[in-house]
Amino acid sequence: MESFAFSHQLLQFMVTGLTVGAIYAMVAIGFNIIYNVTEVLNLAQGEFVMLGGLVMVFIHVSLGLPLVIAFAATVLVVTVVGVLLDRLAIRPVRQPTVMALIIATVAASMIIKGGAMLIWGKNPYDLPAFSGREPIVVGGLVLQSQYLWVIGFLVIIAIALALFFNRTILGKAMRACADNGDAARLVGINVRQMVLLAFGVSAAIGAVAGITLTPIALMDYDRGAMLAIKGFAAAILGGLGSFPGAILGGVILGLIESFGAGFLMSGYKDAYALIVLLLVLFVRPSGILGSMAVARFKRF
Amino acid sequence: MSTEGSTILKIEQLNAGYGAIAAIKGISLQVPKGKVVSIIGANGAGKSTLLKAISGLNADVSGRIVFKDQDILRLPADRIVGLGLSHVAEGRQIFASMTVADNIELGAYLFHRRRKRQVIADGKETVYGMFPILAKRATQIAGTLSGGEQQMLAIARALMARPALLLLDEPSMGLAPLIVRDIFRTIKQLNSTGTTILLVEQNARAALQIADYAYVLETGCIVLQGPARQLLDDPKIKAAYLGVG
Repeated sequence: MESFAFSHQLLQFMVTGLTVGAIYAMVAIGFNIIYNVTEVLNLAQGEFVMLGGLVMVFIHVSLGLPLVIAFAATVLVVTVVGVLLDRLAIRPVRQPTVMALIIATVAASMIIKGGAMLIWGKNPYDLPAFSGREPIVVGGLVLQSQYLWVIGFLVIIAIALALFFNRTILGKAMRACADNGDAARLVGINVRQMVLLAFGVSAAIGAVAGITLTPIALMDYDRGAMLAIKGFAAAILGGLGSFPGAILGGVILGLIESFGAGFLMSGYKDAYALIVLLLVLFVRPSGILGSMAVARFKRF
Repeated sequence: MSTEGSTILKIEQLNAGYGAIAAIKGISLQVPKGKVVSIIGANGAGKSTLLKAISGLNADVSGRIVFKDQDILRLPADRIVGLGLSHVAEGRQIFASMTVADNIELGAYLFHRRRKRQVIADGKETVYGMFPILAKRATQIAGTLSGGEQQMLAIARALMARPALLLLDEPSMGLAPLIVRDIFRTIKQLNSTGTTILLVEQNARAALQIADYAYVLETGCIVLQGPARQLLDDPKIKAAYLGVG
């Protein structure tokens, strides 16, 4: 009987870990898209997630627009913020070294966070779950249906990105910028356009993460930084720049957090990601699936 | 229509460098339409810098670069290729992590954006006809090709943009003599089908043999120029660049 309860608990932790991990994976994918094209770590990535949640609260709850429309409108709004981030914070930098650009993203994240605090205040907001709060019971396992939405959206994002990067000329052009910037320009690719596109797509994915996360974990103006750190840890763990790595890293990190909080100490939940990050950097800086990433990371 | 002997590229008093270092010091040269012009010179003479200045990769430039009656000195690289000037850069610069087919596809990037499907299809037929080995390797990751195949891919990719003028930077670099002969035969063949070629080479003999006209570059200045045949027989050239005498 006890072992039955124990195995159920394991499964429960696993589902929770997968869900949280899916969110980290989305943030990590956002990091990778921008990093691949620009070698910049966009430390405002977490703010996209925060904005996704809060803008959705505004459109869906405050304005009362239906779920699907509010979802699309929120993604659009946050995408515009991503585009503006490139136009207002990245492109105007006079001496665009990687370090200067990263610092610009830090500044931008503070401005976004401050703006969100002025608009929404400091209280956390809730969002109705997409298909109600009634838990699903599968063989004694109690699931929130929203968990499935989160994991489902990660799958959709992964498939959409795989198609985009492998099947469309625009996606291939973005990969070309990441592979060899000078060569990309020599075939006529406008690298600045690709950078803009990268910021837009990353912001959109961040928005999806925020929209799907909020019904589970609420959202407030101050959540971006921690989400960015977790997502960054996931990206490093999987191998910076690798999309399968981002998903793997996100899921592993989510599981570590979930099991760590369940079996060790829940108070240290947020520390696990940082410990993983440090261990990876000490032991295998290229991450699980990264290879070239090491050499490139050493640049700064 | 342009007549025989018209100039496709005209460079006047060009300076180019990297910050405080001047690699090209006041060069003037001309490339007549339909010809092969070679620039020979030792390592570090400024040959690659010159090509980068022309194709827009080096923005630290002054002077005049006129391509087809348009001053392109300040145009960004991604605009210049659309005018019909393609640059096969030093060290091939293929997209190493992508497939051969994707590399070739991306060569026609601008035609993709303009939805010129037929132009792209024709281009593929031409380059795969010219380099059958690339068709065989179409799904292979480009970084795994041999040096010679990578050079062919770099040329094929540049041709997909349908250039009127092709800049080639050291196409023989690191290749076995037999492969070098193949590559130069291809260049000659390209020229005979109407593409103007500006070729930069350390392999002076091979470069002079296929060129109509040549310039000799030394530490950023042109020290000698003339019809390629004439330079092949020039005692100074023989001693300094051809390893004879």
